[in-house]
Amino acid sequence: MSLFTRKMRLLTAVVLDEDKEKVVKGLLSRGVMDFIHIEGLDPEMMKKIRKNEDAPSISELSEYRIRIENLLSQADHRIPSLSSSDLETTEVLDLDKLRRFIERLTVSTQSIKDRQRLVNQRYLTHEEMLRYIEEKKNEYLDIRVGRVPSRAEDFQSRLSQLGSVIDSDGDDLIVLSFKRESGRVDDVFDKFHWTETSNADAQKGALLKAKARLNILIEDDKKDMQALRDEIKEKIGERIDDLEKAWLNVRIHELCGSVESYFSYTKNTTLLSGWVPEDEYDSVYQAILEATDGRCIIEAKEATDVERQSVPVSMSSPKILKPFEHLVNNYGTPEYGSINPTPFTAISYIIMFALMFADLGQGFILLLVALIGKAYYKKNPLKKDGLISRYLCSLLMFLGPASMVGGLLFGSCFGFSWFPALWFNYHSVVNGRGGNGYVNDIYDILGITIKFGIAIIFLALILNWINLFRKKRFFELAFDKNGLVGGAFYAIGIYIGFAFVASGYKTIPTPSWLFPVLLILILMIFASEPIDYIIKLKKGHKEKVSQLIINTLIESLITLLEIFSGFLANTLSFMRVAGLGIAHVSLMTAFQDMADMTGSIVFSTLIIIVGNVLVIVLEGLSAGINSLRLNYYEFFTRFFTGRGFAYEPIGLEGRRKAN
Amino acid sequence: MRMGKVSEYAFINAKLRARIGVMQSSSLFSDMIKASTLNEAVAALKDTPYSNLVAVYAQTGDLQQVELALLEDEIKTYREVISYLKGKETGLIETLLEKVEIENIKNALRLWYSSVVRSHQITYRSSYIYKNEIVHPVDYNAIINARSYDGVREAFSDTIYDEVFSSFSLDAIKEKGLFPLEIRLDHLFFDRLFKAIDALRGEDRDVSSAIYYVDVDLKNILLFIRYTFYHHLSSDELKAVMIPYGHVYEDIMRKRVLDKRDNIDDVRAIVSRYYRSIMTDLRDIRKNDDDMTSADENANHILMIEDYLAQTRKKEFMKILSGRPFNIGIALSYFFLYKDEEKMIRSILSAKFYKWDESRIREAVL
Repeated sequence: MSLFTRKMRLLTAVVLDEDKEKVVKGLLSRGVMDFIHIEGLDPEMMKKIRKNEDAPSISELSEYRIRIENLLSQADHRIPSLSSSDLETTEVLDLDKLRRFIERLTVSTQSIKDRQRLVNQRYLTHEEMLRYIEEKKNEYLDIRVGRVPSRAEDFQSRLSQLGSVIDSDGDDLIVLSFKRESGRVDDVFDKFHWTETSNADAQKGALLKAKARLNILIEDDKKDMQALRDEIKEKIGERIDDLEKAWLNVRIHELCGSVESYFSYTKNTTLLSGWVPEDEYDSVYQAILEATDGRCIIEAKEATDVERQSVPVSMSSPKILKPFEHLVNNYGTPEYGSINPTPFTAISYIIMFALMFADLGQGFILLLVALIGKAYYKKNPLKKDGLISRYLCSLLMFLGPASMVGGLLFGSCFGFSWFPALWFNYHSVVNGRGGNGYVNDIYDILGITIKFGIAIIFLALILNWINLFRKKRFFELAFDKNGLVGGAFYAIGIYIGFAFVASGYKTIPTPSWLFPVLLILILMIFASEPIDYIIKLKKGHKEKVSQLIINTLIESLITLLEIFSGFLANTLSFMRVAGLGIAHVSLMTAFQDMADMTGSIVFSTLIIIVGNVLVIVLEGLSAGINSLRLNYYEFFTRFFTGRGFAYEPIGLEGRRKAN
Repeated sequence: MRMGKVSEYAFINAKLRARIGVMQSSSLFSDMIKASTLNEAVAALKDTPYSNLVAVYAQTGDLQQVELALLEDEIKTYREVISYLKGKETGLIETLLEKVEIENIKNALRLWYSSVVRSHQITYRSSYIYKNEIVHPVDYNAIINARSYDGVREAFSDTIYDEVFSSFSLDAIKEKGLFPLEIRLDHLFFDRLFKAIDALRGEDRDVSSAIYYVDVDLKNILLFIRYTFYHHLSSDELKAVMIPYGHVYEDIMRKRVLDKRDNIDDVRAIVSRYYRSIMTDLRDIRKNDDDMTSADENANHILMIEDYLAQTRKKEFMKILSGRPFNIGIALSYFFLYKDEEKMIRSILSAKFYKWDESRIREAVL
């Protein structure tokens, strides 16, 4: 792992047209090149370069791929994954043949779907009749028992078309129809000379028999529908190998097309260019050499030779820290060459969470949720993310143990002080029962979190100074509100604050060095605009002196105001860490008091369980959000510009965000 | 602005804006239109908030079941928004939900009419009617299975629709069809809608009435064109059809325009006062038996006016979304966009069912 973003190198190659395909496949199998369009060549040279106009349309290929994926998903079949060996077996793509193949399969599945619709309509009719019988809405139904002298099959067929259900009862027929269809049903009865039975018992039992018949028919309908669904799967299943093969072929052509869309061409050669991480450069170089048998020209350009803003950014955090890298990426992409914020974010986030949600038992539950979630998603890889997503599970793998460690430090397990605290008993302190001599009341807890905040803000300032130094932005390093002058102001502010508190909130310290130093710092702030003016003047940018005077006054005053209010607000913001911790203890105490009041072991246990669940869900969420907020607003804003753009190489998995 | 309004609308504003943010892009509709079969068009909904429809279609293969699932989702959405609101604003959204209920009632009535008056077979078709309570306890099973008009009327006893249904008879329906009854239901909806708007206060009332006054005006213009030029209704019949709200209706009534023999110029003058943009289309619509204008040409102008209606509403709602966030406008805009999206999905799926080609679908829905 590097503390900074990964070093990048720009690779530009010229290969013969005949080697192009091999080069593309070689680069795809490496999957580490973030392609760019060739630009900035000599204008005469640019005139000779052309784009690839003969390439197949990528959107058309994507369309075919999606259609194949739809067919695969109808057969509950997973979408295959590409491997390097598949690149070797790529076939020439015959789009007409592919279209015919997909079309045939699609049309045949649609015809099964149409049959399924008819079965569903039959099912709906039977289901409606059964519902009326069960809800005793017999007035909507018409049941008759009797017989027809001849052509019984025709009779049954005609009635079935009207949605009637027919069952036999000895020599008699039982006919169940909707009363709303009675006009049409009666016509059929008349036509076939229906005679109603005079057997009263048969009439009485007819409804029960019809209900039994309906149940059988509904089961048959369900079976038929399942059979049709299976038929679709079978139909696609028969061609599954062809579909997979077609998918692989289309996907490879799609990826190759995507890579080639960045290429430029002269009469006989292909030009390509892209960013590669320095540690992968040799493998890409080798891949091009192998693909061309050495018939190529490869040039490398260091990232330091181009504008920082045009270099893509890749961070090399260890895999274990991926959940925190995700948090960083949600905020933005760091500038090329700056510090990778992920490890620092991981540490600060975990500590903040542990301070706000310190409980051995509740932390264990979070860990348990994470483990169960991970196992579930591992077992069901195709399952979509639910409320507890894959990402949340990964994050909880850290937060659960962090909370457990917090619980050990503060002696809390499910809100109870069942063991001595390693540091101080949070519950005792919050509930006014004293502490360990060092931490005795809520103010001491607030003090701890403010000190923690100061450490975080100083860490952010130091990271910013390192970034500015590496970027050679020395002016900002010296004069910016997050530069050395801002840091000095902050240090003095902290000194004054702590000395004021130490004096029992009575006197503000005035050591002999304080005012001269403050004066120098204020002068530095006021001098920053004129110095900037001189630097710009030397570079040829001229501004009016009157403008300079106005800018100096306004900008300097605003900067001073921002330093005082910004640092103060950011530092005090960390009191939320104590606030959340205190709220956590107070809630658990409230639930314990409620449990004690019941006088029943059952109710008190229930209250404690419900209380713990509520606290885990609500407080856990609140602690997670506030940790994120502190990182984003108090920590990141001091060193993380988010002005970079992510390194996105194209490989066998498509274009991926490497960060 | 009162803090109460901020606290009342802050949550719903954030919630609905987030939903509007994930509404479908035109690429989904384009993929659906390009699909070669209905099955493929439904599959395009896989990774969208409409993914439940994919499961319904996979299970049944029946587009009408999919449409029923869409209606269930729509009702759920209205109820969800109602649960976020409090006070008189819920009344307005409930009234809008009544419009969904009225459309459902009309569908059930058409089935009944088909079965009883026209003696058509309806068997399984009744299963596609939403039968649970939407706002009022309407007995849909009773409507579908009624053998007489009294049976239908009973299905509406103890509901707000009772009065409307009591004023009709089977003979009247046999003679004039369901149209007068449906118009009365629509009028009932507008009565209730404007009452609900009147019950609101301040910004909520201004926003709602601005939207629905334009809505009702444009509907009245369309009704006037349709029923004067195509169906040649008498002035009394036309009065009964037009919705008794809005600037256009008020002006038409005040100037007794419908009582005049040749009233088209008066109507044009009224329309131009409020909606200058549709004047060109309105000017070009002529009575078919008076001149050489073909019915197709006129239909085209009416389509243009309908399109104008849709565009005006869209513009209005977009203006609301970019304006002050703490009023009922956000909920009304959300419903408009939601229904717009839902309508698009319905139309494309239906076109796929009838095997329309891609260009025809594009022409019809985009």
